[in-house]
Amino acid sequence: MLTLQLLVNGIALGAAYALCALGFVLVLNATGAVNFAQGDMVMAGGFVAIALVSLWPVPGLVLLPAVVLITGLLGLVFSAIGYFPLKSRPPVSVFISTIALGVIFQNVAMVTFGPEPRATPPLLVAGNVDVGGLTVSIQAIAVILIAALLVGGQHVLLMRTRLGQSLRATAQDREMAAALGIRVNLMIALTFALSTALAGVAGLLLANTYFVTPTDGTNYILKAYIAATIGGWGRLHGAIAGAMLIAVFEVMFPALPLLIPVLPVAIHGMFSQTSASIVLYLALLAVLFLRPQGLFGEIAQRRA
Amino acid sequence: MSRRALISGLMPFAGLACLVAWPLVFNSPYDLRVFTLVGIYSILVLGYQFIFGHAGALALTQGAFFGIAAYVTGILGAKFGWSFPVTFPLSIVAPVLVAVVVAIPVLRLESHYFALATLGIAQVALLIAIKWESVTGGANGLAGVPGIGAFGLVLPRGYPTLAFVWGIAGVCALVAWWLMRSLRGRAFQLMRTSELAAMSIGLDTARLRFLAFLLSAAFAGIAGALHAHTLRVVSPEVLEFHVMVTCLTMAVIGGRTRVVGAFLGAFLLVQLPEWFRFLEHYYLIAYGGALLAMIIVAPDGLVGLLDRIGARLGLRPRHTLPAPVPLPSAAPEDVTAEVPLLSVNGLTKRFGGVAALEDVSFQVDRGEIVGLIGPNGSGKTTLVNIVTGLTPADAGEVRLMGQDITHDPAFRIVQRGVARTFQLIELVDDMTCLENVAVARLTKLGAGFGRSRSPTEVDAPFGLAKRQAAHLLERLGMLEAAFEPAGNLAQGLRRRLEIARALALEPRLLLLDEPAAGLNEIEQQDLAIRLKGLRTSGLALVVIEHNVPFLMAIADRLVCLNAGRVIAVGKPSDVRADPNVVAAYFGAQPADGLP
Amino acid sequence: MRYSWLTGLAALLMLSPVHAQQSAPAHVGIPVLVPITGFLSLEGTSQRNGAVLAIRNAPPNLRVQYDVVDTSVSPEGAVNALERALDRGSVSAVVASMLGTQMLAMLPIALERKVPLITVSGTAQITEMGNPYVFRFFPGDDVTKVAHVRYAVEELGLRRLALVYQTTAYGQSGRRHIVENLAKHGLSPVFEEALEVQVRDMLPVLSKAMAANPDGILIHLHSGPTALFIRQAAAMGVGIPIIAGSAMHQPPTAALLEPEELRGVCAEANASPVSGGTPEMERFLQQYREMFSVEPDGFALGQYDGTMMVLEAVSKGARTAAEVARALADMRYEGIAMTYKSDGRGNMAHSAVIMCFDGRTRVPKVVKRYDNITGALTP
Repeated sequence: MLTLQLLVNGIALGAAYALCALGFVLVLNATGAVNFAQGDMVMAGGFVAIALVSLWPVPGLVLLPAVVLITGLLGLVFSAIGYFPLKSRPPVSVFISTIALGVIFQNVAMVTFGPEPRATPPLLVAGNVDVGGLTVSIQAIAVILIAALLVGGQHVLLMRTRLGQSLRATAQDREMAAALGIRVNLMIALTFALSTALAGVAGLLLANTYFVTPTDGTNYILKAYIAATIGGWGRLHGAIAGAMLIAVFEVMFPALPLLIPVLPVAIHGMFSQTSASIVLYLALLAVLFLRPQGLFGEIAQRRA
Repeated sequence: MSRRALISGLMPFAGLACLVAWPLVFNSPYDLRVFTLVGIYSILVLGYQFIFGHAGALALTQGAFFGIAAYVTGILGAKFGWSFPVTFPLSIVAPVLVAVVVAIPVLRLESHYFALATLGIAQVALLIAIKWESVTGGANGLAGVPGIGAFGLVLPRGYPTLAFVWGIAGVCALVAWWLMRSLRGRAFQLMRTSELAAMSIGLDTARLRFLAFLLSAAFAGIAGALHAHTLRVVSPEVLEFHVMVTCLTMAVIGGRTRVVGAFLGAFLLVQLPEWFRFLEHYYLIAYGGALLAMIIVAPDGLVGLLDRIGARLGLRPRHTLPAPVPLPSAAPEDVTAEVPLLSVNGLTKRFGGVAALEDVSFQVDRGEIVGLIGPNGSGKTTLVNIVTGLTPADAGEVRLMGQDITHDPAFRIVQRGVARTFQLIELVDDMTCLENVAVARLTKLGAGFGRSRSPTEVDAPFGLAKRQAAHLLERLGMLEAAFEPAGNLAQGLRRRLEIARALALEPRLLLLDEPAAGLNEIEQQDLAIRLKGLRTSGLALVVIEHNVPFLMAIADRLVCLNAGRVIAVGKPSDVRADPNVVAAYFGAQPADGLP
Repeated sequence: MRYSWLTGLAALLMLSPVHAQQSAPAHVGIPVLVPITGFLSLEGTSQRNGAVLAIRNAPPNLRVQYDVVDTSVSPEGAVNALERALDRGSVSAVVASMLGTQMLAMLPIALERKVPLITVSGTAQITEMGNPYVFRFFPGDDVTKVAHVRYAVEELGLRRLALVYQTTAYGQSGRRHIVENLAKHGLSPVFEEALEVQVRDMLPVLSKAMAANPDGILIHLHSGPTALFIRQAAAMGVGIPIIAGSAMHQPPTAALLEPEELRGVCAEANASPVSGGTPEMERFLQQYREMFSVEPDGFALGQYDGTMMVLEAVSKGARTAAEVARALADMRYEGIAMTYKSDGRGNMAHSAVIMCFDGRTRVPKVVKRYDNITGALTP
């Protein structure tokens, strides 16, 4: 029973991580660069929702399209400032420019909203439901559903539409795409918009359950980075699986003494939250050592 | 010319004067403290330039090395009361030891995996510092770290500490400059541009990267120890990712490989938030904005920006062509002539289930030119890669003058006298032709990184390497392009440059992968004459070509591969007439150059 | 709106230095060096607001000059800010960051330059180093954790207590004092675990704690994690009392939770300004709300009281920073939260209160006051 409950919590958390990681990989594929402000976009999404709800008190689900729109526009601005001036530079330049943009976003949020933790409104209503003796928060179910819808929608967009084809062609080979008459810069800008919109939704979803403060981004970007690596650099589905793995691990590991009663009491102390982080990083190192191509293999081609 | 030379000669002195003047003008205790921090961060960034700038690996451990050293100083100083002469060396040794242990699993990883692995290590160090309360003082850290001092005397704050820290920074700068100056820095440039090319000139790239990693750790150790002494407390904050990001930013903003860049980056990033303090809540926004503007305006760092301004003013240093010096003539060989130079026996290689090579055997004698032909995908390049040690063989052996080299690493095979060129040319485009060749000459002369002679004769190999490189360029008829960046050359000259670089290694056997590809008729004829000329010195050539007429003109023998097997060996005219060869070419696809 | 306190501050900055009508006013420099950015920005902002309000209420014979400088959360930032402030004109006292590591880094400089640091830091170590220039106006863990444990054990009669704390300096110091105080009652925690600030899901730790079959939970977490923990506990319906650390008394923490989720939750602190009580407290509350448009917490009040005590010392004739330090060490001062007097090591606050939430509002009621816990107020 507890196992199931932990699993639901882990998947809800993982669903939000996955949206963030998905955006991270989209930009990575399109530009070859690591967007280190992706975590700050999660934070921005949370605060955009908070700002909206102070003007217009409605449930989160109603806010969702507005958050997508605003953070998507933010992504366009982001790419115009942080990426396009540097697009012919080595990826590490973009890495630094996104760090700088992250600092700006954090402090604009700090000045505008203040330092205290804030919560976004729930997607539908607050509260829990009993599902066969399992107490599950309505928000958790809604988060999982919304994330699944978005991941599915993103898949359809990339695989079934002309726009998606152009986006994928741009990600695969910019020069070839340009030769085929695709407007590469537009596609990259749209990728940024899509990526920040996904992060923004993650912010809206997470900030109800886990609150949001201006400095939250660092935690999310580390998670997205790790998820992208264990999932195989450049693999969209791998990143989602990676995000799920991390979140479920984060939630389950500290509870292992309860789940596996045979563990000797003497080692219960090893299953703390801090050890969970240490073990996560050590596991990551082990993955890198044994499978340098990531758990699911690598597809992103190297760029000179 | 002379006025410009004077100006560019005076630049370093002007910089040094600014450096000395700054703390004299801005001399309040606060200004002196901030300037001391600039010195400390400069050392950190100088170290980071080894692994990040020169070796080109995005390591995210530099902050952790810094923090580990600070903790060693803090724990030994505050808890055990040990003083500077003991704690300082130990604080440098500790991160270096960690680097040695970490390097084994991590250093072989590729780019982003390497970055993430190093980040993971740094995070583990941070968590340990927080959790291991009894030793590290937990999240609070340790207070009461003694100042820099010995035998009961402690260096006061202000000028004495500043002078000491900057003295060490100066020494570090000299060491960094000396290690990376001239062609040695160019060797690193080659390595980070093309690892393949670096291995093909006999550089042990794994060892170079390892050394760079250790140097980074050692410099970080120096900086971390000084930071703990200056601040007098150590807390987990020194291990946080923030420190690493600051260090990385300093390196990118200042300049990744130049000593001056480390100082400029550290100065700017320490001072910038202080200058913006008056903006109160908005100062970090301004800081982020300034950072962003900087990376857009000066993407190669401040050093790159200064270079560009200098170039605009015509301050570019003038090149003088070194007088060409011929390479020493090869020593008479003591091996009996019966042993072939190269013999390949039963070589087999599979990728997945597909056999790229199946039981391939052939020989090459001294002074012989062997042409290697075969349709696309017949295994020619795989064969060259195995002979040169880039790809391991599944079965069979490769012998060079009777000695088994099948399992030797690539750089060792080069040292034994096998050189090669690449189908897709691997040159450093923003290095001059002369430097591209001289770097290879330097590794041959044995004056490479970490193999330095005594300081009095260090410059001799650099000079000699350049003069011999000039000779090689002359021999290939491209001396006038010596100071042209390799990226500016036409295809024909690029091919020749690659051959010149390979010849710099004084090989016994030279493997050329499609040297005539992309050349026009005249260039092809010219190349054919030059290749035939090379043979006079006893050098053997293996030439992969689709262009059979080109091969017919120069080759003594042809070896034809099809689907990984040798289907014909012999005189060019015989092989060309062989029905198997004709079938292989016309059966598979239209031949590029068959008559 | 949200940023109106900024406008307030801007207006205030224009007003400063506060002009007094008296002839020949004494000049006082009180730099405010607190973490306005980083993970402690909520508390740092309270410190700033408290100090700024005190400076506005300065006695009319004083002309106070102050700068607010962000120290962020690194010791380096704090030390730089302190050196900078000391270089810019005469300083009577410094309002200093409540972050322990920053205080530890600033202390040697304060000693060298003979300048008192006025703080609300809870870190025990800062007053244990024999430095005569540190003054702490928030009860340390040796005071608050006595109240925390005594309330749980004596008033609620709990015996099997679970303890959850943070892996920060705040958490580690609090844990030590809680365990020590439990030992004085012959108890030890039936369950203990440390959480990182980034931990999001509280279900594992709560499940483990409940598996140890406790009759109460003591938590010592920062603001966000405290709210997460209490919300999860409410969702699980744990049904046992939760006594939280001082972060729970901060109004932004309560604002994250529904009143119903707060039912039965208690917290320790130096005071609960939003609960009002005395006329002085009501006046402080009103002024603070007017000026910053946010609710004050105990840190703001502690910093207010501390800064007011400095101003009184100056107005009574202390001129140099060293004189201010000596006056602070000897004076007894009736503040809004409590009576302050140094115990000889710079600990000025010796009282703590316990407040509880009734499940109907987000404003707690003070249910128990523990005065003079250390005995330093006894003549």
